[in-house]
Amino acid sequence: MSRKILFWIGIVVLCIYIGVALAAPLIAPEGPTAITGKPLQPPDSRHPFGTNQVGQDILAQLVFGARITLLYGFCSALLAVTISTSIGIVLGYYGGIVDEIACRIIDVVMPIPMFVLLIVLTTFFSPGIIQVSLLMGLMGSIYGIRIMRAQVLSVARTSFVEGARAIGASDLRIMSRHILPNVMPLVMVKFVSSSQQLLLMGVGLSFIGMWDTTTVDWGTMIQNAYSQGGLALGLWWWILPPGLAVIGVSLALAMIGYSFEDKFNPRVEVNRI
Amino acid sequence: MDQICIARLKVIFSSRSGEIRAVDEVDLSLNEGDSLCLIGESGCGKTVMGMAAIGLLPKNARVTGTISYKGQDLVAAPEQILRQIRGQEIAMVSQNSANSLNPVMKVGDQIAESLLIHRLCSRKEAEEKTLRLLDSLGFEDPGQAAGRYPHEFSGGMRERILIALALICNPRVIIADEPTAGLDAQVKTQILRLIRERVANGRTLFLITHDLGAAAFLSNRLAVMYAGELLETGTTKEVLARPLHPYTQGLLASLPSAGLHPIPGISPSPAHFPPGCRFSDRCPAVRDRCRKEHPVMGGAGGNRQVRCFLYD
Amino acid sequence: MIELEGISKIYSRGFLRREKTVAVNNVTLSIKKGETLGLVGESGSGKSTLGRIALRLIEPTNGAVRFEDTDLTKLSGKELRRFRPRMQILFQDPDTALDPRMTVRQCVAEPLAIWDRLKPEEREDRILGLLEQVGLTPDLIDRYPFEISGGQKQRVALARILTLNPRFLVADEPTAALDLSVQAQVLSLIKSIQKKTGLTLLFISHDLQVIGEMSDRVAVMHGGSIVEHGAVNDIMNNPQHPYTQQLVAAAKESEAWLGR
Repeated sequence: MSRKILFWIGIVVLCIYIGVALAAPLIAPEGPTAITGKPLQPPDSRHPFGTNQVGQDILAQLVFGARITLLYGFCSALLAVTISTSIGIVLGYYGGIVDEIACRIIDVVMPIPMFVLLIVLTTFFSPGIIQVSLLMGLMGSIYGIRIMRAQVLSVARTSFVEGARAIGASDLRIMSRHILPNVMPLVMVKFVSSSQQLLLMGVGLSFIGMWDTTTVDWGTMIQNAYSQGGLALGLWWWILPPGLAVIGVSLALAMIGYSFEDKFNPRVEVNRI
Repeated sequence: MDQICIARLKVIFSSRSGEIRAVDEVDLSLNEGDSLCLIGESGCGKTVMGMAAIGLLPKNARVTGTISYKGQDLVAAPEQILRQIRGQEIAMVSQNSANSLNPVMKVGDQIAESLLIHRLCSRKEAEEKTLRLLDSLGFEDPGQAAGRYPHEFSGGMRERILIALALICNPRVIIADEPTAGLDAQVKTQILRLIRERVANGRTLFLITHDLGAAAFLSNRLAVMYAGELLETGTTKEVLARPLHPYTQGLLASLPSAGLHPIPGISPSPAHFPPGCRFSDRCPAVRDRCRKEHPVMGGAGGNRQVRCFLYD
Repeated sequence: MIELEGISKIYSRGFLRREKTVAVNNVTLSIKKGETLGLVGESGSGKSTLGRIALRLIEPTNGAVRFEDTDLTKLSGKELRRFRPRMQILFQDPDTALDPRMTVRQCVAEPLAIWDRLKPEEREDRILGLLEQVGLTPDLIDRYPFEISGGQKQRVALARILTLNPRFLVADEPTAALDLSVQAQVLSLIKSIQKKTGLTLLFISHDLQVIGEMSDRVAVMHGGSIVEHGAVNDIMNNPQHPYTQQLVAAAKESEAWLGR
């Protein structure tokens, strides 16, 4: 029962976030970079979250920033999950020497902290948001391959997969029609948890200023507030909104991921008759 | 004197498709030292009977009727009393499925656990008893076996471990649920012999199975169960030699040694029993009355009882 | 019709592949067209492995598998795939033999879809006909495997196999997980299909009594090798090899308990 409630809370909150991001031009027609008021103004009727150090409306920044933050979070997660699922299925199904070599490579790469590696790469190559998202997707997939492969292994050794081979199904058909649908629950969970992880990582990267600091997203907003004295001056309306927004979406995703768990994780006890 | 007396037992589960009458008014009694076999197929309710006898039904089960053990009604008994009885007085050898043994606990620890829970002896004594029991159940190196994990054993050895789990506190009554399921023919014979020599002697055995051979070897009384009710009871020898109910006759005819003659049709779904006799749509001797009226259990001479209009 | 010649299967494990387990040890067998060969042995004797090698679902380490004079071991992947409709396998555990995410209709239709047999409109009729042939009611066609019983699942598996009109069937302990009367139903169904279509059957089991009822000839397997083979009556009444004698004695003992 409680898992269902969590699921729906998470979904509703996530929908609100996505809705707000999509409706950004309606909520703040002037755009995030327009200077619409005096600098460092506390919240009032025209600026529900006040203004930043150059007079830009924080609410406008928040809702437009949502687009960027959510976008790179979900897109890189989508990329990561697609890659790890495909590779995981191929490795798990075929096995053999390729599988062994691939696993050893993954074993070597996995301990490298992704965040640090990303910082190093972005420092040397100063890529834009799209490139960083791609990178995050690629690197995030490495961790996922192991998990997908394990799940694929348990499915690939079942009788019905053997049966499909026996009636003459091609490998491609087996992988796409039999194995993939049976690992879908795990794929969905991985997507949700990767979104959470990569979104946070993206915010972190943009906070450090790893890409174009003129793009307005929640990371740069927090960085801005921090470096321009928002914290020192106690201007809560500047720091809190983006911070809480990040925490909120992260929690929502966590709740959704948790509620999925009982569907695919066989060790989670579910009382059924 | 009756050691266990089951009277008008009903176990009903509520589900999305309605009420499931897993056990529908069953009367059964076991005397001390008896070996009673409840024979039936998957879904007939026999496992639920076994669970009821040891008080391990899930929370969504509604139980009416009584199961009296030494004067105590197990159905109405509080959990405290049930926990005392479980393991010490009545123990169950559960089905040898993948999750009947804790995979992350050493075998010796699992067996000794029962003794320690019931505080029957010290830890050291518990370990010694475990080793002695494993030795008597055919483990060549009990010390080594006790230190291993369940997945390191074959099906037959795991069955012996399950038997050890049940025997360790020396209970008076043993409920054995499908002890020979999934075992090869030879291992099956070994386990059946083991049960007869080490488990059943002096104890009351309640055997639940669909294996007629096991029933014939281990039990002296037989009760045939179908769709939640008993269809026929009597001594094992008599029921097997002269089966009265058409279902029992059908079962015996479907044995490989009898020619694998199938009973047509399938057992009714527990959510929708047919009106009248529950076996009517598969019965070769069916008459009009069978489809409309529900037969009751009636005497058929001696200790035999049968639920069939053929014997009215 | 089926000839297994000098089949061995050796599994290597561990680093540098040094641990070797011999699952099948130099087995030579043949099965005539339309006959049932019973393969009996205990778990671990290699009988299931041998059954799968006969269909080349597992690659033999050595030896040849001849199906109607074609050596399966010499075929390429594509050619082998084209051979598949003629030879099928029925598995032991009905719970894992069907894709849990496919309805009965999808399961039975899949072979037709793979091999592009029959136009999609005609497929529905064929599926209904097959379900009737295996004794299932048409209302089950949209059910999922978890909604039907073990015996019904095995029938669906049979229907799926029959869509391709196979000439050879390997039945790997098909009734080991089923109750007594369901076992009788499934086995008599297999027998009647065999009578109608002249199917050649390799029947694998650990239960000698079942083998005795189903087979024309019997091969006894122990520790990866065939220790004895012959006509079913000879094996049952006059076993020569000590292991076979053990099996027969155990079977006769169970029959004695039942007073037969």
